[in-house]
Amino acid sequence: MIAAIAVFFASCSDDDNQQIIDDLPLGAYDNGVLILNEGNFGQDNSTISFLSNDLADFQVSAFSTVNPTKILGNTAQDIGFYDDYAFVVVNASNKIEIVNRYTLEYVATVDTGLDNPRYIAFANGKGYVTNWGDASVTTDDYVAILNVSNYTISGTIPVVEGPERIIENNGKLYVAHKGGYGYGNTVSVISSTSNSVTNSIALGADVPNSLQIENGSLYVMCGGKPDWTMDETLGKFVKINLSSETVTSSIDFATGNHPSNLVIDGSDVYYTVDLGIFKMNLTATSLPSTELFSTNSQGVYGVYSFAVANDKIFVGDALDYSANGKVYIYSKTGNLEKELTVGVTPTGFYFN
Amino acid sequence: MFKKLALFFALTACSLIWSQQDSIFHLREVVLVDSQLKNFSDTQNTIQLNDSVIKNNQASLTSLLRYNSVIYFKENGNGMVSSPSFRGTTAQQTAVIWNGININSQLNGQTDFNTLTTNGFNSITVRAGGGSVIYGSGAVGGTIHLNNEIAFKEKFENQLRLNYGSFETFGANYTLDIATDKIFANVSISHNQSENDYEYIGFDKKNANGQYENTSFNSNVGYRINRNNEIKFFSYLFDGSRNFSGTIASSSKSNYLDFNTRNLLEWTNFSGLFTSKTKVAYLTEEYKYFENKALENFTTGNTNTFIAKYDLLYNWSSKIKINSIVDYTQNAGNGSSLSENKREIGSFSLLFKHQITKKFSYEASIRKEITSNYKSPLLYSLGGNLQVFKWYALKFSGSKNFRIPTFNDLYWQGSGNLNLKPESSLQAEIGQVFSYKNASLTTTAFYSKITDMLRWLPNSSGQWQPTNTDKVSIYGLEALFHWKKDFTNSSIQLNGTYAYTVSENEDTKKQLIYVPFHKATSSVAFRYRRTTFTYQNLFNGVVYTSSDNAYELKEYLVSNASISYEIGNKKPLRLGFQVLNLENKPYQNVLSRPMPGRNYMMNLTFNF
Repeated sequence: MIAAIAVFFASCSDDDNQQIIDDLPLGAYDNGVLILNEGNFGQDNSTISFLSNDLADFQVSAFSTVNPTKILGNTAQDIGFYDDYAFVVVNASNKIEIVNRYTLEYVATVDTGLDNPRYIAFANGKGYVTNWGDASVTTDDYVAILNVSNYTISGTIPVVEGPERIIENNGKLYVAHKGGYGYGNTVSVISSTSNSVTNSIALGADVPNSLQIENGSLYVMCGGKPDWTMDETLGKFVKINLSSETVTSSIDFATGNHPSNLVIDGSDVYYTVDLGIFKMNLTATSLPSTELFSTNSQGVYGVYSFAVANDKIFVGDALDYSANGKVYIYSKTGNLEKELTVGVTPTGFYFN
Repeated sequence: MFKKLALFFALTACSLIWSQQDSIFHLREVVLVDSQLKNFSDTQNTIQLNDSVIKNNQASLTSLLRYNSVIYFKENGNGMVSSPSFRGTTAQQTAVIWNGININSQLNGQTDFNTLTTNGFNSITVRAGGGSVIYGSGAVGGTIHLNNEIAFKEKFENQLRLNYGSFETFGANYTLDIATDKIFANVSISHNQSENDYEYIGFDKKNANGQYENTSFNSNVGYRINRNNEIKFFSYLFDGSRNFSGTIASSSKSNYLDFNTRNLLEWTNFSGLFTSKTKVAYLTEEYKYFENKALENFTTGNTNTFIAKYDLLYNWSSKIKINSIVDYTQNAGNGSSLSENKREIGSFSLLFKHQITKKFSYEASIRKEITSNYKSPLLYSLGGNLQVFKWYALKFSGSKNFRIPTFNDLYWQGSGNLNLKPESSLQAEIGQVFSYKNASLTTTAFYSKITDMLRWLPNSSGQWQPTNTDKVSIYGLEALFHWKKDFTNSSIQLNGTYAYTVSENEDTKKQLIYVPFHKATSSVAFRYRRTTFTYQNLFNGVVYTSSDNAYELKEYLVSNASISYEIGNKKPLRLGFQVLNLENKPYQNVLSRPMPGRNYMMNLTFNF
């Protein structure tokens, strides 16, 4: 870090570069990626690791370095950025820890109004948090509305079972119903003005596990039901027109191929199937026949988390879910550039 | 608290004084139902915890063994799920044997040591090392024997024990023993409950949602038909309800119900040099898990087991014993995530013991199982006992043992793997017993190699499945110490255990999680006339909580002190007071699950 500051001041002495002023770090954890490690269900061992954009500066447990007396909690699931804050959704602890996104200094905790919280998005100056409710109940799932000034849950929006990932576009929220303990097959549309569900889009496929908006369209990756359910269904890549809120096209995966981890990077679509990383064009009408590369040579147990950013591909590997996990960073062609040992069960990458 | 205590003592004292009556006190002739424990355990270490030790400890099998044996317990918070690690092995590799019958769960292969109350048993024996030839699956690290004794001797005794302590912990046990030279009956009922809302030391938090209660019923009856024939019937029922507490940083709303029954009917026939035992046993286990106890929804699993056994002992001569056992076991199980499945296992064992000279004996045994579920290895053991000097004996043994896949391993929906092999263990140990007057010191070095260890791991699509993967090497050293001395008006007793255990995954060279390198216990009891002081210590070394040994739980030393006083001679009334975790130390034996700080317990025992 000291080295990084020295480099920064050294380069600053050139003085005429506006770009550098814009990149002035707002804290020790600016200009890098927060790696959320969920730990183990039933143990308070969630952690946040940090890696700088130049891959030079790495801290395995950044949250507890900054907040030594705080326990992040049991099974952290997601981080959402809003203004200067990072909202860490901690699933089994039923709470959201709010920290400064650049310094990771503790700000506040939201610990009422959440029941099995999963993912967070922001719209219209409010936070929206998906909640599964009780595992055994299919009718108690909801999206909690978070007041971002006083850090309380100000209301709830009931939704169908298993609301998982949530994203925002143009004042609307799109919730993928992966299915919680069952198997979902819809995307709910929520208006942040009326705070109600305005539409439910049938995907024609099961287990929507990731979604992204690009050029006015919503793209959803559906994994399909796995074979061990004795009711295997096909995976599907679904495109939805956002004005009509209807499915405009979709591509089926072959039996036994269950895709996940959709990332759209410009005109490129990335996804993973088991150990393979795949890439295709956004306009493609059929799936690539071969993978871009496989994580097999790293001995990856399975791609647990995935991101494409800063011209690199990030893969999180949970190993045996007991040991500290691994993060592998590849070039966009699949050359391994960096390997890191992070916390237990790396679950997501959040670029600051 | 004090008001409650006063009321408690007043009520119990009044209601019981009238019922005291005289009867003649007999020394019990010990007749173990688990005859192999008596006849074929000379080459391994056993510690027998008798009545008085059982009564001086807390009612759960976890606390009894934690303070009196080398076994490490992973307890998910006080009173919650508790599983053992014995000689560096996993929870499924310690078998609990109830009157000779293996009662480990058919669902997950292990015993939750907080679902067994110690009160209903005459003695509890810890037998270290392999015992699969006699006791079957899971007898790898060692076996824990819950024994009820039957003796056809005139007897009429009642005992009522009551205790009350911190966190609104209450326990009661009533035991009736009644016997003539023809019939025998021993009936015991126990109830334990607690609010269990202790503080997490160092955190501004209490153990929320940790309440538990359980009731158990033991009934052991016998009838001596004639000199050569006896019929015995043993029954043990446990009905427990626990809320499962959360962690420091997460709360819980769950509740877990256990309902287990064990029944054993035995006909013993003595005919010349032969003793035959024909046994029929029926065991059931059932759990219900409510993620939210306020709701009706739950997940469940249950199994029932039928066992038929024929056990023939032939006393060839005063020096040679031959024992053959034929066993047929049928398990059936189903549950929320298990389809209805049935499994049948037949087995044959042959045990041989030869006392060659006064100083040297050896034991040899084999067992073979036949089942369609898995390929069963031939199990065997061989051991010797050499009394070198009056004060020095050598024991040595080697054995092959196994742990079979459980119903969950085989049939869990979506995960069950029908191609599993049993875990197998090859082990050897050598022990030395030093005895001098009233003192004894036993040291044992052990080595074992476990192959095909079962582990649930995610496959490439993230689906968890059990596989035979790990190889584990275990070696270590155990020491047991005992000394007792009686004086005119007083007596003193010292006990100690220590274990050094290395249990290493052969591929990663890392210590298995939740296996301490060091564990030690000690206790000293000093009696002066009618007053007894006891002081116990438990040292638990560092344990790793992750497979890469990157995370650990710190070592801890906790101690308990107690004082008791007896009133009356033939049928004494005993008053006791205990302070547990005397120094109010914070400690965890499972990550994120703190254990209670200093707490108190009062107890009263009436004999009548």
